[in-house]
Amino acid sequence: MTDTLADSPGSGSGAGAGSGSPEAPGPHRPGAAERLRRALPALGSLQSYIGLVLVIAVGIATKGAVFWNQTNLTNAITAFASRGILAVGVTLVILTAGIDLSVGSILGIGSMTAAMLLVHHGLSPLLIVPACAAVGALFGFLNGVGTTWLKIQSFVMTLAMLSVVRGIDRQVSDNVAVGVQLIGPNGQPTRKADAFAKLGTPGHQLVSGSWLPLFGRAGVGYPLVAFFAVCVVFQLILSRTRFGRHIYAVGGNPVAARLSGVNVTLVVIAVFTLSGMLAGFAGPIDAAYSASADPLAGTGYELDAIAAAVIGGTSLAGGKGSITGTAVGALILTLLDNVLGLNAVSDNLQLIIKGLIVVVAVVLQRPGFLRGAVDPLARRIRSGRG
Amino acid sequence: MFSHRKTATALLAAMIAAALGACASNAPKSSSSGASAGSGKTFVIGYSQSNNAEPYRAQLNAQLAYYVKKYPDLKLLPITDAHQDSATQVSQVQNFVQQKVDVLIVSPNEPAPLTAAVLQACQAHIPVIILDRSVNTDCYTAFIGGDNYAIGKLAGQAAVAALPGGGNVAELQGILSDQPQIDRDKGFRDAIAGHDITIAYHQEAKWLKANATTIMQQWLSQGTKIDLVYGENDDMALGAVLAAQGANKASQIKFIGTDGLAIPTGGIRAVQQGSMYTTFVYPTGAEQAAATAEAIVHGQSVAKKQTLPTIQITKDNADAVYKQYDMTTKS
Amino acid sequence: MRPDEDVAADSAPPLLRMRDIAKQFPGVRALTGVDLTVHGGEVVALLGENGAGKSTLMNILAGVHADYDGVIELDGEPARIHSPRQAAHHGITMIHQELNLVPELSISDNVFLGRELRSRRGTLDRKAMHRRTAELLAELGLALPPQRPVRECRIAERQLVEVAKALNGRLKVLVMDEPTSALAAAEVERLFTVIRSLARRGVGIVYISHRLEELKEIADSVTVLRDGGNVGSRDAHTVDRDELVALMVGRPLDNLYPRATEQRSEGPVRLEVSGLTFTPTPGQSGTALHDLDFTVRAGEIVGLAGLMGAGRSEVLESLYGARSPVTGSIKLDGRRYAPRSPRQAIRRGLALVAEDRKAQSLVLDNTVRFNTTLAALHRFLRPWRTVNRRAEKAAAAEQNAALGTKTASVETVVGTLSGGNQQKVVLAKCLLTKPTLLLVDEPTRGIDVGAKAEIHALLDRLAEAGSAILAVSSELPELLGICDRIIVLCEGRITGEFHRDPAHGPVAAQEAILSAAMARQAVLASGSTLLGSTHD
Repeated sequence: MTDTLADSPGSGSGAGAGSGSPEAPGPHRPGAAERLRRALPALGSLQSYIGLVLVIAVGIATKGAVFWNQTNLTNAITAFASRGILAVGVTLVILTAGIDLSVGSILGIGSMTAAMLLVHHGLSPLLIVPACAAVGALFGFLNGVGTTWLKIQSFVMTLAMLSVVRGIDRQVSDNVAVGVQLIGPNGQPTRKADAFAKLGTPGHQLVSGSWLPLFGRAGVGYPLVAFFAVCVVFQLILSRTRFGRHIYAVGGNPVAARLSGVNVTLVVIAVFTLSGMLAGFAGPIDAAYSASADPLAGTGYELDAIAAAVIGGTSLAGGKGSITGTAVGALILTLLDNVLGLNAVSDNLQLIIKGLIVVVAVVLQRPGFLRGAVDPLARRIRSGRG
Repeated sequence: MFSHRKTATALLAAMIAAALGACASNAPKSSSSGASAGSGKTFVIGYSQSNNAEPYRAQLNAQLAYYVKKYPDLKLLPITDAHQDSATQVSQVQNFVQQKVDVLIVSPNEPAPLTAAVLQACQAHIPVIILDRSVNTDCYTAFIGGDNYAIGKLAGQAAVAALPGGGNVAELQGILSDQPQIDRDKGFRDAIAGHDITIAYHQEAKWLKANATTIMQQWLSQGTKIDLVYGENDDMALGAVLAAQGANKASQIKFIGTDGLAIPTGGIRAVQQGSMYTTFVYPTGAEQAAATAEAIVHGQSVAKKQTLPTIQITKDNADAVYKQYDMTTKS
Repeated sequence: MRPDEDVAADSAPPLLRMRDIAKQFPGVRALTGVDLTVHGGEVVALLGENGAGKSTLMNILAGVHADYDGVIELDGEPARIHSPRQAAHHGITMIHQELNLVPELSISDNVFLGRELRSRRGTLDRKAMHRRTAELLAELGLALPPQRPVRECRIAERQLVEVAKALNGRLKVLVMDEPTSALAAAEVERLFTVIRSLARRGVGIVYISHRLEELKEIADSVTVLRDGGNVGSRDAHTVDRDELVALMVGRPLDNLYPRATEQRSEGPVRLEVSGLTFTPTPGQSGTALHDLDFTVRAGEIVGLAGLMGAGRSEVLESLYGARSPVTGSIKLDGRRYAPRSPRQAIRRGLALVAEDRKAQSLVLDNTVRFNTTLAALHRFLRPWRTVNRRAEKAAAAEQNAALGTKTASVETVVGTLSGGNQQKVVLAKCLLTKPTLLLVDEPTRGIDVGAKAEIHALLDRLAEAGSAILAVSSELPELLGICDRIIVLCEGRITGEFHRDPAHGPVAAQEAILSAAMARQAVLASGSTLLGSTHD
């Protein structure tokens, strides 16, 4: 795993990016810290790990075992899993220097599709999940078509899609939530409803038992598995495949990518399609979590997803970032939510804290941030002396 | 490349056409002030809804359409949806005033911003029925709404009855600044005051089910025993139910909700199935609004303030009440 | 800066004196003990290979680097310059290679950016600004409407707009960083006229350039930097070119254009173009190409000469599939070839070294390895289209070693390399696709003399080994030095073809090529179309 991740290019603290010398590429004498920084970029930025450790430390300091136990942690991550999956898709898009604002709406229609397929058509979850992913992929594809062939800026295209998809969602549902806890004639949940609940209704695990390392009694639910599987698969795609390379190239310099034989249009369409697909895929998880598909499900999730990517060191300018970084960013947000909730911090204060954390994260990840703060001071001291 | 762009344009056009088609099917079949064929004059009603996308309001819309139809000389224009935005709603109300509807029904998103718009209607001599939430003026014909304070108080009394030996209560609150939240919260606390009941936890879940689930999971992991959960709406109570079921603690906790909507995901069904202890119907007032409108257009006098009674849902009456309010079987 | 001058003896202090300037970047000493003196009305050329410290020195002067050691004196008074604002206050202006204009604003808005004139009501006084801008432009010999958006101006015009902007404020010292690298000969001439007139007004000018040929014409003295220190100053009128090169490189350079004289136009025809026509669609930039016929043989370097806007880059880009719609018949090794996309061009054995390496060729934030293998990733694929990174890394390292790219490792970020080394990475990328026809557009723009010679030698070796090369350059001596044949373009038409060996046809000479490059303009000026197709 470490070998995989160590190779993917870029993220905030790239080794050379911080040196700031425009000429004279003299040899660096790498110290231990330098070597560590070189190894880390692919794993997300060092700063985001520090952030994660800080959040955990605050959690343990304020709530002790109430925070640091398997049940609480898996609950927290499960609650955020669908947004984490969105963040992976959004990261792909951001890496190509685009943005996808429609993922929250697509998750909504994915969750509605899932509920309707279950309730009205009695499909098994094994069919529902791919169907929802396909629905999401369709809308994502349209996003890609709009940004490439119609040359609409992705912000505008996906903003429009956000609205269109939400409208369709509300139209097909008639503004009424669809419940998925189907009760059979015997008063017990039907077999299919029970299978659907496994997609994320609290208390339904895929595997549990004390034999399970790490998770033990708490068990592991589908949302957790899906989130981490998506992270691993897409990190591998980014760092190991030609397609992944092309994503970085398109985001880093689309002209150079095209002249190097990269089919830029295809890459952009593929990336939007994947983002939509992941959003659709996350829909059933969200429906199962609330045991119902709400026509407003997923509203505002796109902002959490973008925040997770940004906190994880992905640059909105494109070409820099990684899925591992985004996963860490998502973990920071979810655990932060949990810590604030456990401490009964008021919602207003939570909003303020989360906003500030995004700002702090981005500023800290700027290459050479510390140097920029120290240099003028040093100069003042020196010129004061001389 | 060019042909690609053409295909894409065609696709987009098709989508828009489909969307417009969907809208058109809901559009009115005749102009607003046109007289219908036959017996006599038709009176036009405009209804400005604050947000269609809340289950309660979707239910209200369905019921209003149903009850207005019962009066052959009343005609309901397409219900406008302000998407929870007061500015949008103001302009939609003004549109109805411009169209000179015979009766205007408004469910204000917020009192202050809508007051001026209601005053405009009043000055244009259009009778106004305020449904559910209030405005800061007396210049309307009738106010129809439930009493949130009373409902909160009933919920508190139900909690007292459910916990004869006292106990710990957790309260899931709606958006803190919403008036119904404030009233229900106050009613509930007033009712349990003096009894051996403590509110161990309370937090804003913004009326949302998923938020309530997450918050309830956090409460359950804290260790303090929770005997009863009061959700200021059914969605939040049901979100808490999910969390408790997941932690295998649902059987030890009683859940009280509010709203009692006759929809499959609503509180009535949950009470019927035993996952919730009780809930209280927050009446939509659609039936009364239609009757009031009919009375107004025929010049009869109407009560200026109509407070709607609530119904407590228990296992015994759940089925009957559900059937009474279920709109899917009527049309 | 006259070498034997004693400063104390001079009655008036020099306009600008930088003394004992030193600058340290983390881990690197960029400058040590550098001196530079500029008198009013003097044009000082600053020379040095990339990495010698020229840009660092000038950035200190322009206030870009706040933190440095040493003293800057203006008119004999010490001046504190630690920000661009302070530099501007002292009348120091730097015109960067990448021009600092806002393309969407008009010329007049750019000239007055940050010091807009206001009317009494507090609104912008556009009339007054336009009037003043028109005056400034007229002084510079530019007949452009002040309202025109800068985006619609040519590069040469933009440069003069920058000069106008500088003139609009207080201008004492003007620094120009490679102002002629993007200009055609006629435009260079106009710029020189402007520089001379500025000098006559007493402005001190620091002029950075890699074109040694033009220094004699424009500079009074030459200061050479190497490895962050002064290596000497010379009188520009008397110094000889080889001496300057030796100073810069630190060793005598045998020959900038190290090739044999005989023409190699005997190989099989690799590229045969007839009737190549490119018509830009409305809104598309670029010069239209009209019915071009030419061939390139294996083992041959063919040059494309012409003024800016003659359509040279368009020819390369049309062949490479980067431009459409393109019509005409193209054959590669006798087989039909219809350019559709760069992707397909690469598959057919073409490779392009694009004109602007930062904008068109490199992903600057990524590594040398990433950039080197980007176009040839298919060679390192395993099942499931995953990349065999060991093989990839080895190939990138090998190719860059072969080209002599100076980089700590292939994992170094390309943006931190010098221009010459970046260009070698671009070449490495192209060569890794194993091209049989190499298209190179301004292969040595903005890179230092040593790297230039290496790239010339490399192109020569490639041709020797049987590649066909089609090269575009604005520097005629470069084309004359490396090409077997030179095709001259003017406004999208071929107006001449010249040979290295007189036995093959008209011999390539500077004057003949220039007159062919301006043929069309002569035709248009005389209102006649008689000479329309001289190339037939």
